[in-house]
Amino acid sequence: MDFDLPEELDEYRKKVREFAIREFRPELAEKSDRDESYPDEIRKKTLKEGLVDFSNPWKTMIAIEEMCRVDPGLGISATVPYFGAEVLMLHGSDYLREKYLSRVAGGNAIMGLGVTEPGGGSDVAGLKTNARKEGNKYIVNGSKMFITNGTIADFFVMLVRTSPPDDPKKRHHGLSVLVVERNFKGFDSNHLTGKLGVRATNTAELILNNVEVPEENLVGEEGKGFYYIMEFFNISRVFVAAQSIGIAQGALDRASAYLISEESKGHFVGEERKFKLAEIATRVEASRLLMYKAASYLFNYRPNPMITSMAKGYASETASFAAETAMEITGSHGLKTDLERLFRDSKIMEIWEGTSEVEKIVISRMMMKGDKNE
Amino acid sequence: MNEQTEMMMENIRQFAESNISSISLKIEREGIPDDLYAKIIQQGLIGATLPPELGGAGLDRNSYDAILFQLARISPSVAFHVFMNNSLILRSLEKAGRMDIISEIISGKERYGIAPGPLMEGGEDGEGSLIIEPGSRNIVIGRNGGKVTVLTGMPRLLDKKPLGLRGLKTDIAILEDNGEQILSREDMEAIWEDGSWHSAAIFLGLAEGALEKAIEYTKVRKTFNFSLKDYEPVAFRMSELKSELEIFKNTLFSDVEDSLTGMMLKTLSAEFSRRATKYALQFHGGYGYLEDFGVEKFYRDAVSLNSIMFRPITDKRVLAAKIYGEKSGFL
Repeated sequence: MDFDLPEELDEYRKKVREFAIREFRPELAEKSDRDESYPDEIRKKTLKEGLVDFSNPWKTMIAIEEMCRVDPGLGISATVPYFGAEVLMLHGSDYLREKYLSRVAGGNAIMGLGVTEPGGGSDVAGLKTNARKEGNKYIVNGSKMFITNGTIADFFVMLVRTSPPDDPKKRHHGLSVLVVERNFKGFDSNHLTGKLGVRATNTAELILNNVEVPEENLVGEEGKGFYYIMEFFNISRVFVAAQSIGIAQGALDRASAYLISEESKGHFVGEERKFKLAEIATRVEASRLLMYKAASYLFNYRPNPMITSMAKGYASETASFAAETAMEITGSHGLKTDLERLFRDSKIMEIWEGTSEVEKIVISRMMMKGDKNE
Repeated sequence: MNEQTEMMMENIRQFAESNISSISLKIEREGIPDDLYAKIIQQGLIGATLPPELGGAGLDRNSYDAILFQLARISPSVAFHVFMNNSLILRSLEKAGRMDIISEIISGKERYGIAPGPLMEGGEDGEGSLIIEPGSRNIVIGRNGGKVTVLTGMPRLLDKKPLGLRGLKTDIAILEDNGEQILSREDMEAIWEDGSWHSAAIFLGLAEGALEKAIEYTKVRKTFNFSLKDYEPVAFRMSELKSELEIFKNTLFSDVEDSLTGMMLKTLSAEFSRRATKYALQFHGGYGYLEDFGVEKFYRDAVSLNSIMFRPITDKRVLAAKIYGEKSGFL
């Protein structure tokens, strides 16, 4: 067993870190956070330097971690224009992949994933957005909430109900995935502002009023949408673990630099604060190893949802713990530096792509079923 | 809780509900409006603990803590404004015998800010001074070798959006050394320590505000066809947090007055406020992340106030020395 990254990935990690330190300028990070504005120049630079390669998930995971370590808002903004791409890669027709994915990969379009609905949250199968088939098109009505890239994406991979469930206990039946373009008639979006953190990322509510979607925009088979999205979450949760570990590592970097600086000035740094630093460092290492395990299953085509949920759940709680503890260690210094932004950015990790409670439901259900990863 | 404290709790609850609740989001975005400052003065909340001969209301500890608790339930920024004026600024000025400035403040003619600087852990370090409610005059704690000074003139602000206390336009400032010394560092440390009970009142008030919102939300929010409150992890956690809060409140509003108990309560309630607000936000899900739902401000303010009002090393050393009866926890 070897715990080191392969040399190629380690070199890539260093390259991404150098990029993030060079390009994620403090003024840009602060401005994007303050104005809640999406930093499109960072997306373009990331693409130009070939730093996001969705055909290589190991590299993607490492890029996400290293970028979020420097600044989560900018890091997520740089890596999220492809959000939902895996659904099209795995289940989209050649036509859909060519028409949509190639534009995103070439930097000519941004995409998003439309699953969550107002009042829906974790209950994906309870969604209300309806798609009625009429001739060779679907007529979509409903709304989506907390949609990343909501007002900047050119199209969305969207989960809708195409038929009522055949059994009230099987609400996940009858759901399908459609590609919905922003410029389709009847589509509208509202930018959601006033977020606690990750304010550089774009979040919106989508409104769908008799939106006509051509039938060729159906992804995969009708009625299989729930499974495609759950499969996607299994992938995206590993990437959220990477975001979380980036934040936790970033908090650790800052707290550690502060204590080193204090000692170098001759100020006393007692073991209470050093022990807290050690606790953060230990949790970051543990989270990263768990993420690598989840990734190794997933990227070798043997997904293990229980390990993935453990990785996402633990890493997200570590992000929150690390940022809060770093604030405690650094006192008012933390209030005056970008550590406070990291603290605000960290909390969403325990909420999006499955709350910590949902991850525990997944883990405990699989444990109770006897699936203990033996 | 005695009758007088109960009356004060009810009066301030009504004051906060009538004058602050509906504008609490506006306060976070734009700061405390002038007419609310005027109402706070009219209500006698600034100068609440000053003796009547100095123009104050001479309230006892319980009544004053009831004010801070009820204000923090709705707006921690407003609660801190009242605390900062009474427990830091007016106390300093009273100790320094500066009656001229006291009358300006309690009449509402002049508003002061504070730069708590080196009194806090992680204090002055070349990045500017944290300044809370910057005004044309500021009480600056600990500059020029640890003295308490009064500075005049608006400081140069770096226009940083702060983590917490946004209603007070908290910022980072570059302060010039043009102050008049009024107290020694030791005097200010004593004043700070006297504030333990009152800090606890704010920590517990904001925790109550956050938990009230979470209890309300988890009653009405449904997921998988059931209210959130019907799920064990939600109901049990909320019940535990509420139980802790009630136990802490029993101490806060008891007849006990000693500084050791005050320090103990501040230590525990500081940590509790972070934990309670974190769960309150978590149980709101994505909606909790949006300012419109009014719970994220408690989460920010709890951590921000922990950094400002609670010093995890210094305060714990004071506590340890009281527990052991001698200097402890310094290695």
